[in-house]
Amino acid sequence: MKKYFSLQIKLSSRKFREIGIHPILAIILLISALIALSIYIFKKTEFAPYIIVLLTLSFTTKLAEIKRNEFLKTIFKSNQHIKIRIIENLILAFPFLIILLFYHSFLAVGLLLIISIGFAIQNIKTDYHFTIPTPYFKKPFEFTAGFRKTFYLIPLAYILTVISISVDNFNLGIFSFLLIFVIYFSYYFKPEEEYFVWTFNSNTKSFLFYKIKTALLHSSYFVVPILLTLSYFYFSEIWNILLFLIIGYSFLIFFIVAKYSTYPDEIGVVQGIILALSIFFPPILLVIIPMLFSQSQKRLNYLLQ
Amino acid sequence: MIKIKNLTKKYGNKTVLNNINLEFEKGKVYGIVGENGAGKTTLFRCISGLEKFEGEILSDFKPLKNYIGLLLTNPYFFSRITGREYLQLLCNARQVEIQDFEKQNIFDLPLNQYASTYSTGMKKKLAIMAILLQKNQIFILDEPYNGVDIQSNLIITELILELKKLNKIIIISSHIFSTLNETCDKIHLLKKGELIKTVEKENFQDLEEEMKRKSIGNKVKEMQLK
Repeated sequence: MKKYFSLQIKLSSRKFREIGIHPILAIILLISALIALSIYIFKKTEFAPYIIVLLTLSFTTKLAEIKRNEFLKTIFKSNQHIKIRIIENLILAFPFLIILLFYHSFLAVGLLLIISIGFAIQNIKTDYHFTIPTPYFKKPFEFTAGFRKTFYLIPLAYILTVISISVDNFNLGIFSFLLIFVIYFSYYFKPEEEYFVWTFNSNTKSFLFYKIKTALLHSSYFVVPILLTLSYFYFSEIWNILLFLIIGYSFLIFFIVAKYSTYPDEIGVVQGIILALSIFFPPILLVIIPMLFSQSQKRLNYLLQ
Repeated sequence: MIKIKNLTKKYGNKTVLNNINLEFEKGKVYGIVGENGAGKTTLFRCISGLEKFEGEILSDFKPLKNYIGLLLTNPYFFSRITGREYLQLLCNARQVEIQDFEKQNIFDLPLNQYASTYSTGMKKKLAIMAILLQKNQIFILDEPYNGVDIQSNLIITELILELKKLNKIIIISSHIFSTLNETCDKIHLLKKGELIKTVEKENFQDLEEEMKRKSIGNKVKEMQLK
C-alpha cells in the first residue's frame, strides 16, 4: 500500500515536471488557488459550503471510475483496495475539509466525510452504453463530449440562478452565469489527437475561426437563458451583465487559442500565468488573444497547410 | 498520381525510412508489406502529412492531405461520442453534407452508441465508413482487416475493388497475404526502412512463399518445443 502511494506521488510529480513546473511549486500554487477560490466563494454566497462539497465531489468521482477500480481490485486484496480508496478520497478531500472547518461549516464537513468514504466503497461507471442526448450533435466533438461529461453541472448553475433571484443576490446570479462559462472552458483543456485536426481540409486560420464560431454559438444555448433571466430581474445591472457576457466569451476564445498555441502538447505554465494575469486584468485579452491566435497558426501549420 | 522521391525519415539518429522512391497511380491498389517496425505506418504518416521528412512527395492533388482518407491501425475515438457523431465530425471536417447515415451503414453498426464502447472490429469499420463518406480520392488503409470479422472482411475487399473502379488510389498494408492477393495490383516490400522489392500481381505467390521461408525458417524448430 505504501508503494502504491509513493508511485502515485512519483506519477503526479512526473506530470507536473512534464508541464514544466516543479512539483513543490505546483502544490503551493494549487493550495493558494484553492484558498483564494474558497475565500471568494464564501464572500459571495451563503451556499459556499455546498459548492465546496460539490467541487470535491467532482474530483472524487474521477477516482471512483469503474475501470480504474477494477484494475485496483485485480492487484490488491479487497480490504486493502477499500483502504486505499478511502485514503485516496480523504487525501483529496483534506484541503477542502480544512477550509470548511475554518468557516465552521460542520454539516458540510460531515457530508464531505460521508461522501468520501461512500465513494471509496461504491464505484462509478463513467463509460455508459446509454447515450446522453445533447443539443450539439450536429457539430461534434468538444461540446458533444464535454456536455456529456459535465451535464449535471448545468442544472446546478440554473438552480443557483433561481436561488440568486429568490434571495435577491445579484452576485450569486453572476456566479451562476460564469459557472456555465467555466464548464465550457473545461471542454478545451486537453488537446485532441492529431488525426482530428489533420482531417480538416481548411487552412489554420479558417480552422481556428471555425472552432471559435462553433464555440460561441454552442455556448450560447445555455448562456442566453441565464442572461435573459438576470437581465429581466436585475435590469438596472444590464451593463454589468453584458460586460460579464463579453468577458465570458473572451475567455472562451482565450481557451481555444491557448489550447492550439501549445498543440499537440497540453496547455503549459506560460498559458497558466497569462490566464492568471487575464483574470486580474481582462482587457489584456485584447492583446493576448491575437498573440495566441498567431502562435496557434504556427503550431497547426504542419497539419493544416 | 503520387510520386515519392528520395523520402527519408529519421527519429533522432535512427533512420526509420531510407531513400524511398515510389509511385502510385489512379485506379490501382498498392500493398505495402513488411515485418513489424519495417516503416509501413511511418510511410503512411509521411504521405498523409502527419510527419515531417526529407525528400519530396509530388501529386496532382493539392494540398495532398485534403484528398486522403487515412485509416489508422488503431483509430482513436473520443469518449462519449456516438458512432453517428464521429461520422458527422469527419464529414464536417471535409464539408461533406450527409443527411442519412443509416442508409450508408453497410456494416450495421449501432450508430447511436458511444464509439468508445465498440469492439476493435466495430471501431475499424466505423473508421472505414467515415473515410468513405468523406469522398476522398486517395485511401491509405493501415491494417484494414485487423480485428474485423470474416463477413466484414469480404465487404472491405469488395469496397476496395469498387474504389479501384472509381479510379481512386488505394494503398493498403496488411499481414493477411490472401487479402492483398485479391485486391492489389502491386506489392512493395519494406525491410528495416528500405524498399527492397516491388512485385507485380503475377508474382504474388512467389513473394508469399519467400516471405514465409524467410520469416519462419528454422526459428520454431530451434525452440525445441516439448
